[in-house]
Amino acid sequence: MNKVMSNKWMIAFYVLPALILVGILIFIPLGLSAYYGLMDWNGIGDMEFIGMENYITAVQDMKFWDSAFHSFLLAFFSTLSLIVYLAISMILASKIKGADLLRKIYLIPMLLSSVAIAQLWIKVFNPSNGILNKMLMGLGVDNPPAWLANPDIVLYAIFIPILWQYAGFYILIYYAALKNIPESLIEAAKIDGASPLQIAYRIKLPLIAGVVKVTIVLAIVGSLKYFDLIYVMTGGGPNGASEVMASYMYKLAFSTNDFGYGSAIGFLLLVITLIVTVIVRKLTADKEELQY
Amino acid sequence: MNRLGYIFLYLCLGLVAVFQILPIVWLFLFSLKGNREIFAGSPFALPQEWKWENYLTVWEGGIGTYFFNSVWITVVAIILTSLLASMATFAITRMQWKLSSLVLGLFMVGLMIPIHSAIIPLFNMFLNVNLIDNPWSIVITYTAYNLPITMMILLGFYYTLPREIEEAAIIDGCSIHRLFFRIILPMTTPVLSTIVIINMIYNWNEFVFVNTFISSDQYKTLTVGIQNFIGQYMTDWGAIGATLIISLLPILLAFIFFSNKVVEGISSSAVKG
Amino acid sequence: MKKKAVTLFLAITSLVLVLVGCSGGADEGSASQDEKTIEFMHLWPEGSSAQHHKIIEDIVADFESNNEGVNVEVEVLSNEQYKDKMKVLSTSNELPDVGMTWAAGYLEPYVEGNKFASLDDVLEGGLQDSFVSGTTEAYAIDGTTYGLPLELNVAPIYYNKSIFEENGLEVPQTYEEFKQVVATLEENGVEPIALGNKDRWTGSLWYMYFADRIGGPEALTEAIDGNGSFEEPAFVEAAAKIQELADMNAFNAGYNGLSDQEAKSMFMSGQAAMYMIGTWDLPNYTTNEDVPQDFRDSVGYFKFPTVNGQGDQSSFVGGPGVGLFVAENSDVKAEAKDFVSFFVEQWGERSVQDAGVIPATKVDAESMDLPQMYVDVLNDLNNASNITLFADVQMSPDAAEVHLNQIQALFGGEITPEEFAEAHQEAMSSEE
Repeated sequence: MNKVMSNKWMIAFYVLPALILVGILIFIPLGLSAYYGLMDWNGIGDMEFIGMENYITAVQDMKFWDSAFHSFLLAFFSTLSLIVYLAISMILASKIKGADLLRKIYLIPMLLSSVAIAQLWIKVFNPSNGILNKMLMGLGVDNPPAWLANPDIVLYAIFIPILWQYAGFYILIYYAALKNIPESLIEAAKIDGASPLQIAYRIKLPLIAGVVKVTIVLAIVGSLKYFDLIYVMTGGGPNGASEVMASYMYKLAFSTNDFGYGSAIGFLLLVITLIVTVIVRKLTADKEELQY
Repeated sequence: MNRLGYIFLYLCLGLVAVFQILPIVWLFLFSLKGNREIFAGSPFALPQEWKWENYLTVWEGGIGTYFFNSVWITVVAIILTSLLASMATFAITRMQWKLSSLVLGLFMVGLMIPIHSAIIPLFNMFLNVNLIDNPWSIVITYTAYNLPITMMILLGFYYTLPREIEEAAIIDGCSIHRLFFRIILPMTTPVLSTIVIINMIYNWNEFVFVNTFISSDQYKTLTVGIQNFIGQYMTDWGAIGATLIISLLPILLAFIFFSNKVVEGISSSAVKG
Repeated sequence: MKKKAVTLFLAITSLVLVLVGCSGGADEGSASQDEKTIEFMHLWPEGSSAQHHKIIEDIVADFESNNEGVNVEVEVLSNEQYKDKMKVLSTSNELPDVGMTWAAGYLEPYVEGNKFASLDDVLEGGLQDSFVSGTTEAYAIDGTTYGLPLELNVAPIYYNKSIFEENGLEVPQTYEEFKQVVATLEENGVEPIALGNKDRWTGSLWYMYFADRIGGPEALTEAIDGNGSFEEPAFVEAAAKIQELADMNAFNAGYNGLSDQEAKSMFMSGQAAMYMIGTWDLPNYTTNEDVPQDFRDSVGYFKFPTVNGQGDQSSFVGGPGVGLFVAENSDVKAEAKDFVSFFVEQWGERSVQDAGVIPATKVDAESMDLPQMYVDVLNDLNNASNITLFADVQMSPDAAEVHLNQIQALFGGEITPEEFAEAHQEAMSSEE
């Protein structure tokens, strides 16, 4: 058994194709981007080696840390939202009538591209014609906020479509994991007189713990490098109030000709994400891996 | 649970369902309006005049080629990603070797790269090997960039596969390939369907890579077709809406198909397991 | 077993390589030896800019038939994608032979990086005279011109005549009158001005006009190129005027979070009385059949008023839009230069007649059948005492980013006019 499963040729055969592809198409660009980070380069003319200067500037750049803080807030809320998605998945995966249809309906918005989602939420948030403010005014609110214009609100306002956009993704994963639990285990618990809540908490949750941990990492990593809706809906504004790390990096590299500095920020983004991920993995580490 | 509880539960579930359906209704109405109505009118108001010509505009914009490209690029990339990710995850979780956690770590780092950092180096690389304006550059980029997340999702499932199965198979003299392709892979159908759906959405809606690496019209995909309606000073939003509806239909169908597989797969693997 | 695995692995890798490699080489052989290809990248897609696109197609076809053995290969991208792609291409030194550039601040790094070819030789043979004076200068650095402008725009204030009539209002000539108009509209529950300041340059236009009227036509340009200072009282006062208007609720609610497109729609659906935008928008108010006739009939425009009795109403904010460049490292530089020269010659009259573009080349308005508003704008352009180039175009991209962010903060009341001036001066002085 061990001999077969530790055959070096076989391992190479199974791992190398993916590893080579990722190595060439992700790690080489990553290395190059770290290298550009050492340059004073506008991306157009000649580049000049300036050592760690860009990285030092970044560490002192308040705009960068503001954007990093915004990204961390998003990561925090994304992680929290997983609880809701998990609860919904539990309901959908239980044997209630119509669950199958409901699940499909719930996941439909996930199919929409960011272009569509951005347009939809721009219409929701429009200060005078928007759905949200029309509803608020109908409820008697005199001066409903300008959601995307107010620097104190814009960040939280824009989190809503971002979290909503990913709901389907996590529900899909949790659903598959929950459906993977052998029916016999749940039946046994029912016979022992466990309530649905007890079954969810004592049996289902521990059994999909591995999947939950993975989704926590995905939520954090995805949030820290998030870009799409921020860029389309607010462009990071007003005056940087909704800037996140990736949008800041994009602006530097593509709009303001600080390509070297932008690359350095991009690399820092990765380092920060890596550190956070390692910490999270350590915190959620479990000694034994569960098997059914 | 009592009767009242159920009614309340269904009320909530139904309400959420309505909320999730509305975006599609909105998008459909959007696709039948002109700019003025889209921006100044109520989003859910019926169009004053039903501008079906938006669809005609889109059709004349040469959407057929884009459509075909989107389909084959998405499909090929999904097959490659699912296969390579399954193989690598299998080796990392089921085979015994010292470097497995290091390699897993490498794949996870791949998850973290912001695409705007990668895009310029990638362009340079493809340029050097003459892959610019070649759809295969898109296929392999999609495959590589979706591998890490796909593996992460697979990982949780592979860890929970019972060891007894492979032990029994190996003792019976089954080869590794047979074990993987005939036993493990079918057992993971539910999660495979899940990752197919996720990869499908990613590939189908992606446009940054296509825009950067492809310049000929004949290789562009649907998302780039949307760009056709964005002008220097004027944007034809109705036509963009029509493009979005047209591009939504195929993945909606594929989604429903694979969504059923998530459940079907389970029942079949439960029998075998 | 081992052997089988290796063979399979090799088979798969080579299959991938073959697939990739084969199609990679496919493009190469097609062009024959003596045929030359000019790559041309522009930003007028067929879907959104049908007439522009058509004119370009015609020009390209004419050029190809006039020049045996020269092909023009066209790639079209939308505005933002175009800018992104320019960036990517320039990092790899792969710019198209001919493409589009913006003036001043955008152009400068490309010139410094030796990426754009000098077009002085193209302009020499009399072509220079066909441009409206001041337009090619925006594409010149140290006396050498690197771009041939295709458009010339100024930004007037468009207004809805019927709304003005209903509220008994007259076109304001002075800022005092303008404020009166705003106050009356606000009292009567009409949004006075539609502004989409998410795009930021929209708000910048308003600030620039105040700076022009209060500080004089040269002030802003001098402050940007370092011969003046943003901390001059005139600039602080201009910024204060912006906040004065904002405090009067002159602009629609939530303007800092709205795109120009959304603001435009408010104006075009009669929800706001005034709207400042470039003359590129003229088709919407004249010829565009998708816009209801009665709305088009009710739109007029006026020049930005004088402020405190200062300023010249025929001084405008505006400037040339996109222009054509030729890449310095192009293999077909001579042909590319012929192409751009041919292009601007053909572009002028056709663009104004068919696409409603106001070209940077002189046009004879009398001889053409143009809507009245075009004739008026062309007249205003002829009589313009000054056109100050859009601030974000004049500035380097870094300084422009500061300026635009500060504009949002100023409009949002997050900073004082003094802080606004200070931040600008700081950004300008760090430019060296």
